[in-house]
Amino acid sequence: MRSYLSLIPISDRKHKHSNIMTKLCIMFSVFMVTAVFSMAEMGARMELDRLAEKHGGFTIQYLLGTEMGQSFFLTAAILFILILVSGVLMISSNLHSSVSQRTKFFGMMRCIGMSKKQTIRYVRLEALNWCRTSVPIGIMLGVLAAWVLCLLLRFFAGEEFINIPLFKISLIGILSGAVMGILTVLIAASAPAKQAAKVPPVVASSGNAGNIQLVNHRLYNRFLKIPAILGISHAVSAKKNLFLITSSFALSIILFLNFSVLVDFVGYLMPQSASASDIDIYSTDSSNSIDYNLLQKISGMECVEHVYGRRVVFDIPAEISGESKYNANVDIISFDNYDLKCLQKDGMLQKGTDISKIYENTDCALATWDNSCNWKTGDIIKIKNGKLSIEGLLNRDPFSENGLANGKLTLITSDETFQKLTGISDYSLIMIQTKKNATEKNIEEIKQAVGGEYIFKDKRDQSTLGTYIAFLFCIYCFLGMVALVSVFHIINSISMSVTARKKQYGFMRAVGMDESQITKMIASEAFIYALTGCIVGCVIGLPLSRILYEILISNHFKYAIWNIPITQISIIILFVILSAAIAVYSAAKKLKKYSITDIINEV
Amino acid sequence: MNLLEVKHISKIYGKGEASVHALKDVSFSVLKGEFVAIVGESGSGKSTLLNIIGALDNPTAGKVFIDEKDIFSMKEKKLTVFRRRNIGFIFQSFNLIPELTVEENIIFPVLLDYQKPDKKYLEELLTVLHLKDRRNHLPSQLSGGQQQRTAIGRALITRPSLILADEPTGNLDSQNTSEVIALLKEASRRYEQTILMITHSQTIAQTADRILNVSDGIVTDFGRCRQ
Repeated sequence: MRSYLSLIPISDRKHKHSNIMTKLCIMFSVFMVTAVFSMAEMGARMELDRLAEKHGGFTIQYLLGTEMGQSFFLTAAILFILILVSGVLMISSNLHSSVSQRTKFFGMMRCIGMSKKQTIRYVRLEALNWCRTSVPIGIMLGVLAAWVLCLLLRFFAGEEFINIPLFKISLIGILSGAVMGILTVLIAASAPAKQAAKVPPVVASSGNAGNIQLVNHRLYNRFLKIPAILGISHAVSAKKNLFLITSSFALSIILFLNFSVLVDFVGYLMPQSASASDIDIYSTDSSNSIDYNLLQKISGMECVEHVYGRRVVFDIPAEISGESKYNANVDIISFDNYDLKCLQKDGMLQKGTDISKIYENTDCALATWDNSCNWKTGDIIKIKNGKLSIEGLLNRDPFSENGLANGKLTLITSDETFQKLTGISDYSLIMIQTKKNATEKNIEEIKQAVGGEYIFKDKRDQSTLGTYIAFLFCIYCFLGMVALVSVFHIINSISMSVTARKKQYGFMRAVGMDESQITKMIASEAFIYALTGCIVGCVIGLPLSRILYEILISNHFKYAIWNIPITQISIIILFVILSAAIAVYSAAKKLKKYSITDIINEV
Repeated sequence: MNLLEVKHISKIYGKGEASVHALKDVSFSVLKGEFVAIVGESGSGKSTLLNIIGALDNPTAGKVFIDEKDIFSMKEKKLTVFRRRNIGFIFQSFNLIPELTVEENIIFPVLLDYQKPDKKYLEELLTVLHLKDRRNHLPSQLSGGQQQRTAIGRALITRPSLILADEPTGNLDSQNTSEVIALLKEASRRYEQTILMITHSQTIAQTADRILNVSDGIVTDFGRCRQ
């Protein structure tokens, strides 16, 4: 032993088990940042190569000036801060309880001459010592994850990722990972270090932790029994601990809610429609001039999965009567049964719409819609040859560029209804979905059948499905990690809080508290953490998710409306409750293993 | 020459009706090299007195001089260093660092001072303390007596002028008790160290140079037991 600091590795070996969660937290933060930044750099390199190929000679500075490059690194930077905050909160709460548990140790250290400064240095270095293994492992995992993601993108995603570099090491990724690890630990350790330095030396001789407060609780309560009252008072009496655990629970919820917005964002950015076609055939003048029989002919071809046509009439004068009566020109478009089903599958219909009324020969139609429209379900539209009633609304206008109806009412009817109203049976647009194994020869056959009369558009290479899945995969991976780390962290926080009170529980059992009462006490404590965490998480997370939704989605897709993400909230709350339950179970089980005398006599 | 001077020390815990006068205007002095036993009933204020002398706790009023230095006029940082170099503590419950060996526990205060331990002195201490063959053992591998001897070693390693012992034999059997007391007395004689020791045992108190009795926060000097 050369210095008093040599105690750190020795003590670390002794507390290997209890430090493992903290090390995992560091590893997780480093891993996430390394992976995210490595991916950002790979993305940037790919974009750079693409630009260089196109225009020749581009530098990274140029890329940083482009919108694409900026968004890559901005996203990475935001993620960096989010991960930093969550890492700091988690590690800080772990360190806080680890210091609280060692009050007597620090008191004794102060007693035998450790100065406040030395105590602060001790706790800081102790925390930094965890980085020795966690940071390199986190970096390695991060680099590995980036490689796997690049491989997946290159071979399973769309054409646009064909140039993504494989097995390249990102210096930016490694550096930011290392910086993240050390920064998290240093920030996280600063408050607990001060807390340790504040332990008065008298603690060593008196054995009183000094920070034990008299909690003003009545041990007799009409609604709650003693274990519950004690558990709740344990949770609320240690304010700092409550704050740290609550914040890290809340942060998990906030992260989860906000990353869910990204899922929606990708959905808006690359809408995946069930009715997306591989080949479109349309008339040269947008008229209904495509022969009705052509559709029958194509549907008989072997390589065709689905074929469906649309007819359209524009600007039909109509009288709309709902709450008020007014005249307007409306468009009417026919959808066949498959097309209508796809509308439902794509979630285009507003709640309460019964699409079954639209099928076949009826007087019912669906209407496009946006926030500024004044028509409603139930309105009657009179046109020259009959009338239609609006049976349901879409949540946007799929026929306009920006998704807004802009005051123009477009009605969607079934084939039969359309033909009855207009007498038109030929199509203006035929859409084809080909089978997966369709060959170029097959496509050529369709082209031949169509002939030169109409416009033939092969859209197979425009599919964004691969990219869409790749993005979703990344976001869900991240969400999964957030959820997983939350579970671990919740279990660890509660277990540490229980360990800190082990001796107290020992005394309680010695004076007659039974095991189930102990479990109830721990459960009530955990319940308070989960409850406050959920409340704070939702109170902060929901407005944040709304703001993010508006910035990312509503600003670009005017028809998008933010709704309270009830499913996501339910999922994450369920996660929190489940983790808390597991934590209580495992902590109570651990306590049962010790005999009362062992706990009491433990130094 | 007085090593320790306690002047009009009072200690009040709490406020108002709930306040407790733990020490009431206590004054006394202790000579260099003197071995003083502090006796008194539980709750009489013995530990409070010892904690204040060791600067672990602050008095409500009064002053403590060690080697003519007013310890409570020192700033926190200076006081820590002063305590590290001049005062050794021995507790009833040993308070050793469980992860460190006997030898490491003993030299720890020296390391806190960024000094190299005096090897010769360490060997001497280990011999005197009968811990030579236990130097690489962990506290959990030692008997109570050995643990307390290690704690004594830790208190002696910086050659402090004052040793404060709070019932150092409270957890020991009679055999170990007499060994520990003999050791403390030997240290006091050999290194001219002043020792203040709280004890409940009249027999041990009788072996001290002087006995102070604490009762209800008031200290009475029972005088020198032997010359």
